[in-house]
Amino acid sequence: MKDKTKKIQICTNCVMDSTDPTIVFDEKGVCDYCINYFSNILPNWHTDERGRSSIMKVVERIKSEGINKEYDCIIGISGGLDSSFLAHVAVKDFGLRPLFFHVDAGWNSDISTSNIQKLIDGLGVDLYTEVVNWDEMKDLQRAFIKSQVPDIDTPQDLVFFSSLYNYAAKNGHKYIITGGNFSTECVREPLAWGAYYQTDMVYVNDIHKKFGERKLVTFPRCDIFKYKILYRLFYGIRVVKPLDSIPFLKKEAEKLLNDLYGWQGYQHKHHESRFTRFYESFWLPKKFGFDKRKNHLSSLILTGQADRAEVLDRISRLELPEEELMLEFDYVAKKLDFANDELWSYFNAPNKTFRDYKNNYKLIQLGTKFLQLLGLEKRAFK
Amino acid sequence: MIGIIDYGVGNINAFINILKQIGVPYKKVSNESELVNVQKLILPGVGHFDYAMKRFQDSGMIDKINKMVLQQNTPVLGVCVGMQMMANNSDEGILPGLGWINAEVKKFDSTQLIGNEPLPLPHMGWNDITLEKFSPILTGLENNSHFYFLHSFYFVCHEDSDRIASANYGSNFTCVANHKNVFGVQFHPEKSHNYGIKLLKNFSELC
Amino acid sequence: MLKPRIIASLLIKDGGLVKTINFKEPRYLGDPMNAVRIFNEKEVDELSVFDISATVKGNGPNFKMIENFASECRMPLCYGGGIKSVAEAQQIFSLGVEKIAISSSAIYNPTLITELSNKVGAQSVVVVLDFKKNFLGGYNIYTHNGTKSVNKNPFEFIKGLQLLGAGEIVLNNIDRDGMMNGYDFSLVEKVRNVATLPMTVIGGAGNMADIGKLIKQFGIIGSAAASIFVYKGKLKGVLINYPSSEEKTMLLKEYLKF
Repeated sequence: MKDKTKKIQICTNCVMDSTDPTIVFDEKGVCDYCINYFSNILPNWHTDERGRSSIMKVVERIKSEGINKEYDCIIGISGGLDSSFLAHVAVKDFGLRPLFFHVDAGWNSDISTSNIQKLIDGLGVDLYTEVVNWDEMKDLQRAFIKSQVPDIDTPQDLVFFSSLYNYAAKNGHKYIITGGNFSTECVREPLAWGAYYQTDMVYVNDIHKKFGERKLVTFPRCDIFKYKILYRLFYGIRVVKPLDSIPFLKKEAEKLLNDLYGWQGYQHKHHESRFTRFYESFWLPKKFGFDKRKNHLSSLILTGQADRAEVLDRISRLELPEEELMLEFDYVAKKLDFANDELWSYFNAPNKTFRDYKNNYKLIQLGTKFLQLLGLEKRAFK
Repeated sequence: MIGIIDYGVGNINAFINILKQIGVPYKKVSNESELVNVQKLILPGVGHFDYAMKRFQDSGMIDKINKMVLQQNTPVLGVCVGMQMMANNSDEGILPGLGWINAEVKKFDSTQLIGNEPLPLPHMGWNDITLEKFSPILTGLENNSHFYFLHSFYFVCHEDSDRIASANYGSNFTCVANHKNVFGVQFHPEKSHNYGIKLLKNFSELC
Repeated sequence: MLKPRIIASLLIKDGGLVKTINFKEPRYLGDPMNAVRIFNEKEVDELSVFDISATVKGNGPNFKMIENFASECRMPLCYGGGIKSVAEAQQIFSLGVEKIAISSSAIYNPTLITELSNKVGAQSVVVVLDFKKNFLGGYNIYTHNGTKSVNKNPFEFIKGLQLLGAGEIVLNNIDRDGMMNGYDFSLVEKVRNVATLPMTVIGGAGNMADIGKLIKQFGIIGSAAASIFVYKGKLKGVLINYPSSEEKTMLLKEYLKF
C-alpha cells in the first residue's frame, strides 16, 4: 500500500508530484512536464490559421484518396469527450465521411452508449462495433489484478488500440482519426502510474501466462512493433490528430456537444468506461497512491482551463463518494467472478511493477528515443 | 434498522439491493428472535392471498409483529399482496387478513371494458398514480410518478382518511393506503426504478 | 393510465449475450450482465432473459448468472430457459426474479403450469410459444430453438393455457426473428381471438414505429424486441439502446392518442 510517511514534493506550477519517481524539479520547483510543455509543445502547437491550414491540407488529401470509397476515414468512438468532439469536427467542420468504430470491452455505461447513439443520430454516420469476447477479457483483467501491477487497465487499453488498428489495416482504412490532444493531455501519464505500454506483448503475455486461466484466442492484439513498423510503413496507415490543429477547450466542447446532440458529460476523464472509472477513482489511488487526475488536471492548468488551487482542493479527496465506490467495488468483483473478500485480498497484497515481469521496456525506450530524434514524438515519455 | 419480513413469499433480495444502494441499514427477518433492533418493517408479498397468509402465520413471527405494529406503532410498509394482507379479508381467499387497515380486497371486474376489450387480468405494467392527500412516503413523487403493478385484486379502504393515492385500471382504485403507522402500496416499489427507490427512501426516513 | 410495456429481450447462449436470425446463427454480443446493467440504467419497462442453451444442453438454469442479473434490475425481470420443476422455479424467484417463463415444459408437461400458478400466482407464470408459419399459411409451435415441431393445434392449446393457470403468453415469431421487418399481426389476431390473457409479442420489430403500430392495433399488449435494442444502424453495430421516457411518451401520444 502507499507509503504515507514519505514527503511528497508538488510542482509549483501544476500538480504533478514526486509520486512519479522520475519527476525532476528545477530551482523554482517547476517540474519537467511543465518545462517540456513550454519548451517543446507550446512553441510548435498552433490552433490558429497555421494549424487550420495544415490540418485542412491533410483533410483534403483524405477526401481525395477516399473519394470512391464508402468511408474516407475511421474514427474510434468511446462516448468520451475527445472522440465525441472529434466526430463532430470531422463531419460537420471538415466534411469527412468517417466510419465510427467502437470497441465493446464489456464496461460501457449508460451515458457512453447514449452519447454514441446521439452522435450517430446527429451526424448520420455508420457504426461498426468490435465486441471483445467477454470470457477472454475477464480472464486477462483477472490476471492483471492478480499480478499486483498498477497497470490493470492495460487489457482495455490494449484492446481499444489493437481492435482499431487491426480493423483499419484489414479493411483498407488508411486514415485513422484520433482524438489525442495537447489541450487535455499535454502532461502524459507517468509510466509508474499504471501507464506502462499496453502494446508490450512480452509483458502482457507474461502476466497472462502466470495468472491467466484460459487461452486468449480471439482477443485483439497488436504489438507496438507491428503498429509502428508494419502498419505504418507497409500498410501506410496514417494517424491524424486534428484536435491539435484547431481550438479545443474542454468546457466549450462539452457545451457544444450538449447543445447540438444532447451529449452528456462525465464527472471526469475516462469515466465512459465503468472499469476505468473504478480503477482511476479507487484502485490506483488507494492501493498504489497514484492519482491520474493529477496529470489530466495539470494538462488543464497548463492550457489555462483549470485553476491550480481548485485542482489541489479537488485532488485532496477521492473523486467519488466512498459509498458509491464500495458499490462499484461489489459490481466489479461480481462481474469479474471474484468473491468480494477475494478481490479485497488482491487489493491488500504487496504491490509490484512491470519490472517484476518480462518486458520489452528497453527496446521500446530505444525506439521512442529514435522517434523523438526524428521529431515524431513531442510529449515527455518516462 | 429496517426489517424485511422473510416468510418465504416475495422478492426479499430486490428490497435488500435497494436499501443497500441507498445506504439504509436493514436485515432479513425470518424468525421472532431476529426482530430485535428493528425500528421499521417491510412486508413483501406475491401470489395467492391464502398462501401468503398461511405462510406468514406459519413463520412464527405474526404475534410479535402484530404487537410491534398495533401496540408499539412500528411503521410498516406492505407491498402488493403484503398490502392486501393488512386488510380484514380478501375475495381471493378464505383466511382472514391482519386487519391493520380497515379495508377489504376485491377482484377487478373483468367485464369492464378498456377500449373495446374486456379488462385483461392481471393488471400488469407501469401505471400513473394520483395523489388524493399528502403522505410522507410520497414526498417528491407528487407529479408524474408511475410504478409497476402486477395484481388481479385491489384494496378497498372503508375509511376515506386512509386513502392516499389511486390508480386507474378500468376504474379508479386505491393504490396507496395509510392508517397511522401502517402503509400499504399495491405496486412494486422494489421494481419501479427511481420512483420506487424514492418511495423506499422516504419510508426509511419516516420518524 | 396503464401504459403498454416495451420490453427488452435478451438471449443467452453458453453464458454470452447473443442475437439470432430466425433462431439461427447466434451472433455474439458480449457480456450479458453489463447489458442488463445498462438497460436498468436506461429504465427499461421490463427485461426478459432467455437462456437458449439451458434447455438444449439439458443443463438447467444457471442460478449464479440469474442471481447476478436480478441484483442489477430495479424493474421486473422475467427468466426463461431450462426450467422443468416447481423447485427450480421457486429457487429462481428467491433470487429476485418476478416472472419465470417456460416453453417446452409447458407443452410437454402442462401440469407444471398449474403447479407453479398455485404456488406463486398466475401473474408470475409466463408461457413462451415459438411459432413458424407452415406451408399452408397456418402456424405451428416449435420447441428446442425452433428445431422440433409440436403436433398440437396451437390455438386450442392456447385456449387451455388460461385455465391451466398461465398469467401471460409470449408469442415468439421464428420467421420474423432478427429480420427487423415488422411484427406479424395475423398471428397476434388469431391468438387474441382465442385467449384474453395478457400477451407479449416478439419477433420482427425494426424500429419504434413498429412498436407503435402494434400498440395502436392491439392496445394493452407487451411489445418485446431485441435487435432494435442491441443494434444501431445499417452495419448492425452493437450498441445497447432504449427509448428515453420522453421518447416513449411521444410514441404513446402518436399511436394511442394519449
